Amino acid sequence: MTTLTPRWRLKPVAIGGAHLARPVAWGVVGLLVVVTLVALFAKTLAPYDPIQPVGALNLPPFSPGHLLGTDGIGRDLLSRTLIGIQVSWLSALVVVASGLLIGGTVGLIAGATGGWVDSWALMRITDLFLALPGALVAIAIVAALGSGLTNTLVGVALVWWPYYARIVRGEVKALAARPHVEAARLAKAGRTRILTRHLLPGVVPTAVITASLDIGNVVLLLAALSFLGLGQQAPAPELGADTARTLSQLLSQWWVPGIPGLAVLLLTLIANLGGDAIRSLIPVRR
Amino acid sequence: MSEAKTSPVSSPVAVVEDFSVSLVRNGVRTQVLHHVDLQIRPGEILGLVGESGSGKSVLALGLLGLLPPESHPVTEGRITVGGVDLLHAGRDELRRVRREVLGAIFQDPMTSLNPTMRIGRQIGEATGDDAESVRLLETVGVRDAEQRLRVYPHELSGGLRQRVMAAIAVADKGDGKVARQRLIVADEPTTALDVTVQAQLLDLLRELRDDFGCSVLLITHDLGVADQIADRLAVLHHGELVEVGAAADVVRRPRHDYTRSLLASRLTLTTPRDARFAAESDSDSAATESAVSIRGLTKTFGVGRGRRRHEITAVDGVDLEIGAGEALAIVGESGSGKSTLLRMVAGLESPTSGSVELAGDGGPQMVFQDAGSSLTPWLSVGETLGERLRPLKLPRDEVRRRVTDALAAVDLPPEVAKARPGELSGGQRQRVGLARATMIPPAVLLCDEPTSALDASLAKSVLALIRDLRARIGMTVLFVTHDLAVARLMGDRIAVMQSGRVVELGSAEQVVSEPRDPYTRTLLAAVPEIAS
Repeated sequence: MTTLTPRWRLKPVAIGGAHLARPVAWGVVGLLVVVTLVALFAKTLAPYDPIQPVGALNLPPFSPGHLLGTDGIGRDLLSRTLIGIQVSWLSALVVVASGLLIGGTVGLIAGATGGWVDSWALMRITDLFLALPGALVAIAIVAALGSGLTNTLVGVALVWWPYYARIVRGEVKALAARPHVEAARLAKAGRTRILTRHLLPGVVPTAVITASLDIGNVVLLLAALSFLGLGQQAPAPELGADTARTLSQLLSQWWVPGIPGLAVLLLTLIANLGGDAIRSLIPVRR
Repeated sequence: MSEAKTSPVSSPVAVVEDFSVSLVRNGVRTQVLHHVDLQIRPGEILGLVGESGSGKSVLALGLLGLLPPESHPVTEGRITVGGVDLLHAGRDELRRVRREVLGAIFQDPMTSLNPTMRIGRQIGEATGDDAESVRLLETVGVRDAEQRLRVYPHELSGGLRQRVMAAIAVADKGDGKVARQRLIVADEPTTALDVTVQAQLLDLLRELRDDFGCSVLLITHDLGVADQIADRLAVLHHGELVEVGAAADVVRRPRHDYTRSLLASRLTLTTPRDARFAAESDSDSAATESAVSIRGLTKTFGVGRGRRRHEITAVDGVDLEIGAGEALAIVGESGSGKSTLLRMVAGLESPTSGSVELAGDGGPQMVFQDAGSSLTPWLSVGETLGERLRPLKLPRDEVRRRVTDALAAVDLPPEVAKARPGELSGGQRQRVGLARATMIPPAVLLCDEPTSALDASLAKSVLALIRDLRARIGMTVLFVTHDLAVARLMGDRIAVMQSGRVVELGSAEQVVSEPRDPYTRTLLAAVPEIAS
């Protein structure tokens, strides 16, 4: 079990590290688009119903009619993996997007306002969340709300935003100290306008880059949670849960737990590479 | 190292022969230096003068064997220092020459010293033992040298940091037996310093030459500085050496047009003032209505933590009355509180006590020192200027027309509206800053050293533009500067600040020609003037 549990939040190593060459970076961004398209149209792409047994038991990959084989009760593994990718990928996007939205708003307001709003109201709450072990809190929230995909997403999103709040606040604080913000204030630009036109655009590159590097983490956490029986409920396909349930078959029919496990690996890899790619393509202005 | 090198008349310390270099900048290869020939003789101070972009710093890096590899330099010719061709030497040989012959003092001593290392260890890297470090620090005029070894660079003032750099530069890093010729490359060592500190550092360079027999390559944009200390002068223009000669000759009898234009763009204490404002400066300012009245203005900052926490008084009970349409120049060295004063008038900083009253509505406008960072990098110039018109709720065409007009008023073409600040030159950015401040005529314009980051010729034109705008709009101007020549040119009156107080206030001519306060006299004496 420990093999699939992510270390809580793999932090991107020093922004500005690995820079991909432009053509490579565009290639990776293309991959991101392909994965998203596959996730969106998984239902159309899947050859069979992922829940109904449709063939012989434990067919190996490349069997006729079942490209990736079948599992212990004869369900098509390709269909289950495709739907699994849909669930994991779209969930990860939703969690990261909501994290960005909540965390970004909190960070932007805290950083731009300063004073007690920053140091007492917003950032202490953020610190409180950051101090708690996120994965455990997410599990506790899911346990309280009752298991299920929606509740899991809510649980994970709730522990995910403080990280972004910190990053965005730091960036905004640095930007707000620049003379251009003072100049805007002297030019009689309003509060909201300074926030949206003079501060926000400066934060976007860093926030987007961090978020894209984070998608892989969310995929892993969701997989781990369903591995623990939280999240998407059987018999619906979920990559983490599918791997966990069939782990006993690893030596006899490796593909049954192996293929959804490999799918998790692939998603995480593409997401992290995607983060690097976006970082190489967006010029971070200073 | 042969004995012959120690004799007074010997071969040059450094020879630059037919040196050309091109560097890749922003993906474009540009020729930075064209066929430069230059010799630095033993024990001479050679001044290298040129505006920004002339290639003078690249020449310095070449002499140090430090051409930036990430810019993929392509070189021709030779640079010989200590008998080694730096352009083709191996790493070990380069290191030996740097250790035995070369020393460097850069413009920003904060970035050229390691912020995480105590001073003692940094000098120790060159000297090897503390006793020698202390001796060197004392030679370069650092008092309490023994205590200084234990501090970090940020705990020293800018002038002291440059002295530490100088100590490292002259340190004898060899076996100490053979007296060697040394070459100190000083790249704008005084640009970041106050005039009084600058004068001390120039004295130090001269002492190093006299006492150690060092040769010095002094790179500067200021002909006055070069004239004060250099034996010979070389003038660099667009990567070409246009004039080389004895310093006194080059400055007083320049042969090349470019040298002449450099001299002409120099602002001095005798530059003719603007006749347009002569009448106003003669009249009694108390008679006119006051546009800015500053009463007992004080600002204190708390610094440090815990037991070391103490308060610093940046501005200490300043009273000033500035008449409508008058221009007041505030002069002072760094830390004198002049910028804090201006920021309080702008409303960017709240006073600890005292008050600022401004006439007129709409508030003051400000022109910042660093024009680049005062413009929002992702907004186009048109958007930035248009922002000022937003409260008027004008139709789009009208906004565009007004933006074009505002750009024209600061001598910029309408296309600039589409550009982002990053695409503009330093002078253009400062013009945009001026356009933003004056497109809706303000009652009070505040200028915080708007030209200190610009080349002399550019600075001169920006200053002229500010005076034009003042004459056209009739606004009150508060002009903060560290440069007395600029202050005299821009202000009807000059206020001299020291340690948060105004120590002298008088008409511009009076302050410059008959200073009453000893501090003003010190400041004036430190200004590097070219005596005819």
